[in-house]
Parts: sequence; C-alpha cells; structure tokens
Amino acid sequence: MIETYHFLDSDFQQESSRELTLLSIISQSYFQPFSLEDNLVLILTALTSGSGVGFNRAMYLRRDGNRLRGEAWLGPRSPEEARSVWEVLSTPGIGYVEIIEHNRALLRANEDSLTRRIRKLSFTSSDEPDLLPAATARHKEIALVRDAAHEPQVDPRFLETIGVDEFLCLPLLARDEVVGVFVLDNAFTHNPIQPRDVKLAAVCSLLAANYIHTTNLYHRLVESEKMAAMGEVAMFITHQIRNPLVTIGGFTDQLLEEGCEEGKRRRNLSIIRDEVRRLEDIVFKVGHFLKVSLKEPVYADVQPALEAAAREGEAGAQAKGILFQAKLEKDSPLVFCDPSTLGEVARNLIDNAIEATPAGGKVTLHAHRGKDARTFVLSVHDTGKGISAVDREKLFRPFFTTKEKGMGLGLPFIKRVMDTCGGLVEVRSREGQGTHFLLSFPSQEERRPS
Amino acid sequence: MKRILLVEDEKPLALLYEEELREEGYDVTAVHDSETALAKLKTEEFDLLVTDIRMPGRNGIDLITQVMGLRKAIPIIINSAYQSYKDDFMTWAADAYVVKSSSLAELKAKIKELLER
Repeated sequence: MIETYHFLDSDFQQESSRELTLLSIISQSYFQPFSLEDNLVLILTALTSGSGVGFNRAMYLRRDGNRLRGEAWLGPRSPEEARSVWEVLSTPGIGYVEIIEHNRALLRANEDSLTRRIRKLSFTSSDEPDLLPAATARHKEIALVRDAAHEPQVDPRFLETIGVDEFLCLPLLARDEVVGVFVLDNAFTHNPIQPRDVKLAAVCSLLAANYIHTTNLYHRLVESEKMAAMGEVAMFITHQIRNPLVTIGGFTDQLLEEGCEEGKRRRNLSIIRDEVRRLEDIVFKVGHFLKVSLKEPVYADVQPALEAAAREGEAGAQAKGILFQAKLEKDSPLVFCDPSTLGEVARNLIDNAIEATPAGGKVTLHAHRGKDARTFVLSVHDTGKGISAVDREKLFRPFFTTKEKGMGLGLPFIKRVMDTCGGLVEVRSREGQGTHFLLSFPSQEERRPS
Repeated sequence: MKRILLVEDEKPLALLYEEELREEGYDVTAVHDSETALAKLKTEEFDLLVTDIRMPGRNGIDLITQVMGLRKAIPIIINSAYQSYKDDFMTWAADAYVVKSSSLAELKAKIKELLER
C-alpha cells in the first residue's frame, strides 16, 4: 500500500510550520552570548508555546555528575494564571519576541514557586531501584508516563512535586553524553500527549542538548583560561616579591649579628628601605591596575595630550641616543577617548618602544585619520628587538612581562582602554627588526560653528 | 680557597650572597648576567657555579646548557625564586636546586656538601 501526501494538505502544512517555528526559536540561542540562563528561556519557550510544541509546562533537570538537579521550570502556576497568560499570548500581534520577554519574566517570577520547588530536588541515577526521572538519564530513553500515581517506576518525591498523572521525560543527549532531562506536561489543559508531540519535543531536545553541551564546554574553557591566568599572576608575585623579601631578610640577619659596624649598619638599613619601597611600589601598581576605573570616553580634542606625550618621548629617546620622530596630523578629528587616558596610552607605547630599541635606533609616533572617516589611528613604531610569536600571544595578559623590572600591566591597561572606547589594537612585529603598534579609535569630524 | 662564581641579576641580592659566602671562607665572584658569567668561565677556573634562572637576556637554563658545552666538571647550584623550574628537565642537569630564602642556611649547606664531594 502506498500512502500519499499533498503539500497543500492543511495538516501537513501545520506540522511543518510548527517544526520550522521550533527550529527557528531554538537556533536563536546559537546567536546569543553563551548565557545558559537566557537561552534556556528560548528553549523552554519553544517547548511550551502554542505554535511550538505546545506543552503547558516544561522542566529542565541539569545533570551534575551522577546527579540530576532541578534547574528551571517554565509554565503558569495555577489554572487561573494559565487562563490569563494564554489570553495575553493569543492576542493578535503578539510575536515571539514578546512571548520570550513574557516567559523571561515568568521564569523570574517562578523563582519563588515552580523553579524553587524543583531546585530542591536532586536524583541520583545510580539509585536502586531505577526510578524516573533519573532513569531517563541513565537509559537515554524517552519515557511517556500515563497514570503516574499507579506507576511504581516514578520517584514518589518527583510525583508529589509535579502533581500530574501524565508527563513526558526526554533525555538531553549531546555526543552520547546526557546533559540533562526535560520533563513536559499538560497540567492545565489535561490534553493527552500525542505521538507527534513526542516527536517534536524529541527534535527540540536534540537541539537544546547540543546547545547546553556547547555552553558547558565554553564555560569550562573560560574557567581553565582563568586558572592559567591566575597561575601567571601567582608566578609573577612569587618572583617579584620573593627577591626583595630575601634581600630584606638577609640584610636584617646581618644587622642582628653582634659587632655589626656602623658603616655596614647604615648601608644595610638603606638597602632594606629601598627594597621596602620596591615592595610598596609593586603593591601600589597592582592595586592601581585592579581598582582603577577608567574615565568615560568622550569625543575630544586629543592634540594637546599627544603633543605632551611626544615631548616626553623626545626627551626619553634623546637620553638613550635614539632618534624620535613625531608625525601628528594637524587639525585632527575629535577622538572617542578621555584625552588624559589617551595621553597615558601614548606614553606607555612610546616608553615600551624606547626600552626595546638600542641606541642608534628610531622610534616614530604617528597620529592620523584612518582609511575611513570614522577612525583615528595612533601608531608607534620602533626599530627595536621585536616580539617573538610566542610572546605576542601573551602580550595583553596582566603580569606577563619580558622586562627585567616590568610589571606586565602596561599593555593590559591599553587593552582595557581600547575595549572601553570600542577601538582596536593591532601589533605587527618581527624579531630583531622592530615592533609596530596600531591603535584605531572611533572618531568624528569636528562640527565647526558656521 | 675554593672559588665560587655567583650569577644574580638583582644587585642587592648579589651583594648579600657575596658577603655571606665570603664569610664562610669562599672566594666569591659575583656577576649580574649570563653573558659575563660565561666569559668568566671560559677564562678562569672556578670550583662551583651558583646561578639564578630568571634573568634579563640569556636565562640561567641557557647558561647551564652552555656550561655543559664547555665540558668543565663544575658543580652547579640553581638558586631561584621559582619552584616551578624544577619541572624543566634542563634544570636536572644542575647538582642542586635551592629556592631563594632569606635564610641562606640551605644554600650554604649545599655549597659545602658539593665542594666536599
């Protein structure tokens, strides 16, 4: 026997449009930042909205090792709320954006009832006997429960919380790993769950699982990067602080020895004082970097700040026998950056360039309009030792330094400034040949009074 | 009198080590970078080398590699603020690894032990 389908069949159209709608809602989460909390709303909306899968309520249980913990529960809390919510949502002209906003508010409101109730729940999948919903995660199978009250395979605590006789448990599978379980029900309409609802929800859960998995991986990556950065901070502090401490301790021991002569006593005390100042300086700089709040960027005339930085650069370069050239475009546009901050950025780059360049070399400061009318470029070029490819990767990490006395906070500061004003930093460097820093700031032409 | 070559880029620290080791009865030459240390090793005879690792220019590990290339049977002590360089197998070539401390007792003991070997 051959079954035939027609594209114009209203049933078929309805089905495919439901699936497409679903796909489009869930795929939105991939365009959002990796915030599981926000995107969970999208996914749960797809499961509960009338033109999505259309369940009354959707619950997400997160897998955490061999436990399954209640994480979020979307849906009305009472039949009255259900009626009023659905009335609002069926108003013509209400689109997905509104529904998602509404659900976001609902999920927040549910913090004190639905969601809070399931957050208290935790099931161990290794528990015997094998009870739902943990069994779903364990067996990676979809379970449609009807007449739950008489079903011995349902965890009684769970049954008490969910309070319905019919519900669907869906494992969230991503690359054969279970990331959680969805539990869906029709607590208010009491519509029996149909096979096609199960199929649609299954498609939805596959996408959601993949999204949750990716988000988990992303967060793990961010975490391990943070740990690596912390490791560098610890290394830095160990070295920077241990040397002065050893010096102070060692010379103090000498002072405590009997018969320490006056000349040596004075010398040791002055070394100790210098080392203490060094420690204070380190503490000050780290504190300054961690605490300092940047001034709000504004469109400003940065010419005076740049000229001042150029004058200082000129003096520093001269002292080291380096040629310094400043090419500052006259009549520059208004640059989106606090002028004193921009001056500090320029001085920082010039100081770095001078430090990296041997006597007889050249440092060039160049400030000019970018290729398009809306950027202003600040560039510092040197003919110094350059930066190795390995070091270039770590350049903007706090406390990374190749300098003897450096703190490794200059370039991270510049990065912060550029992030704040929406600018870009580009570094071109070749070992042994020199380094070129290019900063592009947003800018606008000055409107002169006519 | 046993001759010790000390490589330490931090000058006050180098001064401290120099004085303390002289007090122990050694002839100490302190230098502040690997390049100078290597030049000294090529032209003079020493009984022991004490070196820092993290230094501007060529670091202590580089220096150890170069010293091995000289094929001189000179014992080497690494004296570093970092514990973590112990993971670098090149530091295993040294005879001892001492983490910097304001008490120089461990460093002095290692020097004595290696010179008496």
